[in-house]
Amino acid sequence: MKPAEIDKEKLLSIIEAYRNKKWGLIPLLQAIQEEFGYVPPVAVESVADAMKMYPSHVQGVITFYAGFSTEPKGRCVLKVCRGTACHVKGGKSILRMIQKDLGLKEGETSIDYQFTLETAACLGACFVAPAMMVNRDYFGKLSPPKVTSVLEQYRKDKGDN
Amino acid sequence: MKTITLTINGEHVSCTEGSSLLEAAQGHGIKIPTLCHHHSLKPVGACRMCLVEDEKTGRIIASCVTPAAQKMSVLTESPRVLKHRRNIVRLMMAEHPESCIICSKGNRCSLRQYAAELGIGETGLYPIPNYRNIEQANPFIQRDLTKCILCGKCIRADHELVVTGAIDYNMRGFDSRPSTLFDRPLEKSTCTFCGTCLSICPTGALSPVSIFVGTPEKEKLSFCGFCGVGCRLSLGISDNQVVEVNPAHIKKSVNDAALCVRGHFGHDFLNVKQRMTKPMIKKDGSLSSVSWAEAIELVADRLTQIKDKHGPDSIAFLGSSKCANEENYLFQKLARIGFKTNNIDNGGYISGRLMLDLIDTRTDPGRRFNFFAGTLSGLEMAEVIFIAGADPSHSIPVAGYYLKRSVKNGTPVIVADPRKTEMAGLASVWLRLKPGSDLELINALSALIYRKNVYADSFIKRFTRGFEKYSESLSSYDLDRAARITGISIQEMERAADLLVGKKIAFMVGDGIIKNRYGMETGEAFLNLALMTGSIGYGGAGFHFPAKENNQVGAWDMGTVPDKLPGRQPLNDSLSRTSWEKLWGGEIPHEVGLDLCGMIEAAEQAKLKALYIMGENPLRSLPDRQRVLNALEKIDFIVVQDILNNETSKLADAVLPGAAFCEKKGTFTNMEGRLRSVSAVVEPPGDAKSDFEIIGLVAEKCGHTSLKCSVESIREELSKRIPMYEKGRSNFHPVWIKEAIDSDPAEEDDRERLISFSQVVTADEEEADKEYLFTAIIGSKRCHLGSGTRTGYSPRIKAFNFSDAIEISEQDSKDFGISDGNKVRLVSRNGAIEREVCVKKNIGRGMVFVPAAFNGNDAGLLIRLTKLFDSTSEGWNCCPVKLEKI
Ligand code: SF4
Ligand code: SF4
Ligand code: SF4
Ligand code: FES
Ligand code: FES
Repeated sequence: MKPAEIDKEKLLSIIEAYRNKKWGLIPLLQAIQEEFGYVPPVAVESVADAMKMYPSHVQGVITFYAGFSTEPKGRCVLKVCRGTACHVKGGKSILRMIQKDLGLKEGETSIDYQFTLETAACLGACFVAPAMMVNRDYFGKLSPPKVTSVLEQYRKDKGDN
Repeated sequence: MKTITLTINGEHVSCTEGSSLLEAAQGHGIKIPTLCHHHSLKPVGACRMCLVEDEKTGRIIASCVTPAAQKMSVLTESPRVLKHRRNIVRLMMAEHPESCIICSKGNRCSLRQYAAELGIGETGLYPIPNYRNIEQANPFIQRDLTKCILCGKCIRADHELVVTGAIDYNMRGFDSRPSTLFDRPLEKSTCTFCGTCLSICPTGALSPVSIFVGTPEKEKLSFCGFCGVGCRLSLGISDNQVVEVNPAHIKKSVNDAALCVRGHFGHDFLNVKQRMTKPMIKKDGSLSSVSWAEAIELVADRLTQIKDKHGPDSIAFLGSSKCANEENYLFQKLARIGFKTNNIDNGGYISGRLMLDLIDTRTDPGRRFNFFAGTLSGLEMAEVIFIAGADPSHSIPVAGYYLKRSVKNGTPVIVADPRKTEMAGLASVWLRLKPGSDLELINALSALIYRKNVYADSFIKRFTRGFEKYSESLSSYDLDRAARITGISIQEMERAADLLVGKKIAFMVGDGIIKNRYGMETGEAFLNLALMTGSIGYGGAGFHFPAKENNQVGAWDMGTVPDKLPGRQPLNDSLSRTSWEKLWGGEIPHEVGLDLCGMIEAAEQAKLKALYIMGENPLRSLPDRQRVLNALEKIDFIVVQDILNNETSKLADAVLPGAAFCEKKGTFTNMEGRLRSVSAVVEPPGDAKSDFEIIGLVAEKCGHTSLKCSVESIREELSKRIPMYEKGRSNFHPVWIKEAIDSDPAEEDDRERLISFSQVVTADEEEADKEYLFTAIIGSKRCHLGSGTRTGYSPRIKAFNFSDAIEISEQDSKDFGISDGNKVRLVSRNGAIEREVCVKKNIGRGMVFVPAAFNGNDAGLLIRLTKLFDSTSEGWNCCPVKLEKI
């Protein structure tokens, strides 16, 4: 499977809606990422034009924020916590286990664009450490069997949307 | 402004409110090291080199971003400051690569200087250099971002000074670097290779690509030898050669820290082997080297013989818009007094002197106020800017930066151009008119403003005449017809008129008008518009004409023209004439002489027997090369005095090697009217001599010994006789601008000097050409100046291989089945050229853009040589063509 082709028209219509809006850049980039899962490089020049900014400047903003990605991500984005609390509770071995299970290193996306593996400095869920997120859902008090079942769950969901 | 007093290192200092601590210190000669600060960039406080200690609070603060406050007391070299500063440099050095030792920035690298000053050899830290690829595929700028300290100066220079936006910060943390869009190499980005970032970079991260390695022996101030902006340069010199060029970074100078690609990199033409180094004369059909004495003798003898045999008007003198004022002055004096002819002109004919003349004679005969806008910095005060037929981003790039900065600051800008030039893309209103239809556009805008009833009423009443008659024709002016001719809807014109109404306008009027077939009429229409809106040269308003050559204005001021004496005094004014005759001790002929075009025509009719050319290459710069060649071949004796072997010098009977701007002393007048004095910072190559000296030698040999004199004595003569060249003004605006600013126009009421409106003249409505379907627009690209003689020799400009492709629209490329890279033949009624095409978005249907100056300036083949501003002229900037795929 490949990441979905960028629907150029869709992209331009999103950009148009923000044209000439003051302070519109970040919300616009968020809207694009929301739609496509990432900010495709082809968007940069049109975004710059609409915001009356230099394309190099827009690129700088995108690459400055960890929240924006310039590469397509998998259907499920895993964020495994490496914060102190999670570390103490064995977060490291959870991460290692997930890496092995998915065959991915940090920052990588599986070739079928099903999974992207990321880490976070703290998910703000220390009370349920060790924790991770899959897309917008939190999973706490992780143990190897729990991880396996979560991953299994997401694998099964495949194609549902 | 309030004054603040404070103590720095125990010394009492004062500064104006709002100054930073750094500025306060610098103002009193106290040095504080800086890396990310530059006087013309907004401070960001990125490097922390400029730390100082606040004695009262004990805080360590960055002086470049801390405003000086009353009664503050700071130390710039306290032990704590030094400790921190040392640590900062150590950390930077730890991130620096080993190649630092052999870096070509050498001793000019600020980081290395500070490290040495602070006694940092070994950092004692674990080195963690951040390796990057070295980028050096282009012949101008080498980027080794491993050496980047992230001071951000390059980025700020690119955004704030040259307003290009080619680079910005990319990524964050350890990966952070200045980078182009998608991290492409510079040549694939929007970079114009102005090199401004390279000269401002404090480290070796950005350095010039050059055959010269190491640090130049010395650096000398000079001025750019290319266009009329006249940027201040710092020339790096080694072994009597200019090996490096940088902007001089002088506050309030026209360019300060900026330059353009020509000025920065094109001066390497100075050292090419095609420089003329020996006098030569034609023997048996080919040129061979001779001594100066032999060459001068031949020139003097032949010119004298021809004058005696065929009369004074069988000789013509072509002076130079690239030579110094004193040289041009002496040259026209030789023509007028020595040879009794007014057959004298200069290359400025090609680049707009007729328009300067028009505005000057029409508005300022009594020198009351002037319509020239003066300094480019005035653009920052302008209420509205109107750019017509000009592409300053290419023709005069540093002036283009001023315009872009104005746009950024919110000044409304109107651009009238068939192409979407860079300025058109940024403008508030872009009037995309049909090529050559400017006359109707300006008339229509005037009519709209008149009908809105908002014009400079009191100005008109006091200082002009003929408004009633003019306004009558405006009220009956046919706007629909104008819309048809220009291709611009009345609504669009209304939008532009709304922006102009009630404002004083700064005009930038370029080649599209100057070389237009209705050049004179359009000039008059602009003048009417300026009169109606009271846009005199004051407060940023008035006319700017992009001067393509560094001394275009000066050559004109010096009287190197057929109808004017020095100081722009009309030849047919007997008062002016007698005053110059008295000074020169000889009679000046009365009849207006031949202009450049007239010289070619006279040569064709075998009326011109001798031509003395100083620093011009008419065979390349004039349209219709074949015709010019045929004409020149009919001339019995041609002298070419120049710095480079070129097309015209091949035809010469005598070649006299002259000196380039940095090899001689003299003054030049830039497009703002600023006088700039240069001195010889290197010797002319080989046996070459300064043009001033050569003219003197020729004059002397012809028996006019009074013309053999010193540059200083001429300067004296100029300053006494021409008010705008008065002494002590070497770096100020000449009097004419000063007067305009100082005089209160409302004080004067002299009926004699009223400026008259001219009548509305309309262009003919034409049928579309059935055979020649396209209109070719000929224009410049920033890599070349004028017809490209000098820039064409620049090794680096040649190495870049700038594209000469003919630009066509996407629509036409589809309709005619021509795509990017295809070769085409472009045929006009006059001639044909062959080139590749390139499909562009910025050009409309039915037009093609032909970059001039490439391939020996073959674009000129398309154009018929006609006298500019003549009623029969077809203009030089565009012509009907057809496109054949080959
Ligand atoms: S390249 Fe030079 S000017 Fe630019 S940020 Fe790096 S060190 Fe500063
Ligand atoms: S050379 Fe000029 S245009 Fe290119 S990046 Fe540097 S400042 Fe910008
Ligand atoms: S703008 Fe003109 S004067 Fe300035 S560097 Fe460029 S060519 Fe030289
Ligand atoms: S440390 Fe893992 S959620 Fe805070
Ligand atoms: S010079 Fe002040 S922080 Fe860089």
